[in-house]
Amino acid sequence: MEIQLKLYGSSKMLSDKEILNVELPNNSNIEKLRIALSKIISQKYLKNNLQNLSKTAAFFSQEDEIINDNYKLKDKELISIIPPIGGG
Amino acid sequence: MTLHTALIKTEEEKISSEKAKKFILSEKNGAESIFVGRVRNENSGKKVTAVTYDVHDQAVIKSFQSICNDAKSKFDKSASIFLEHAKGYVSVGEISILIAVSSGHRDEAFKICRYILEEIKHKSPIWKKEHYIEGNEEWLPGYSLRPKEEIK
Repeated sequence: MEIQLKLYGSSKMLSDKEILNVELPNNSNIEKLRIALSKIISQKYLKNNLQNLSKTAAFFSQEDEIINDNYKLKDKELISIIPPIGGG
Repeated sequence: MTLHTALIKTEEEKISSEKAKKFILSEKNGAESIFVGRVRNENSGKKVTAVTYDVHDQAVIKSFQSICNDAKSKFDKSASIFLEHAKGYVSVGEISILIAVSSGHRDEAFKICRYILEEIKHKSPIWKKEHYIEGNEEWLPGYSLRPKEEIK
């Protein structure tokens, strides 16, 4: 299966596009997405201070609600990655 | 109407304290408190030229409204609140956030202003990328919204 990850903040370093497509095993949840992201980051982006992103990020559903690690992802689902925030 | 919240695309519009003052003006409210945050030219010893603010539009507006309504319930239900935050590229010296509050009394006006600012830093999905004089740039660290019980 594949999910679409809308990028915000530091996660924008993962792609030049707004959305990153991530390949996952079927029936994956957010926990599996974290593992996949961790692999992507360790293979390509270690120099960009993204090492902790897969642990510290939250994820939003399309309804803009935080979804927890047990949330079952659907094929082609669009979710947002929310790295640690700091406005104001 | 006693509440205004907005994200301002800085390439198209500037955040204006005059607009804020007009909005909060009320004969019922004798105290006004205005907080203006601007991009400063230095951070941790690095010379900053600008900050780019990235935002999750819908979630930010939802959080702004919830924070402001909480502040009113907590401190003064009659308060008027004007809150605008920049999105996009903001040069040094320009306004990044403006919170204006009018309330019955000074204590509530100060408290509401402070409460809103601190809550935004912990609840609103906004990110800062600093641009430095040498031409490099860096996303700043922040506060994780991941449920605490999940972080091992």
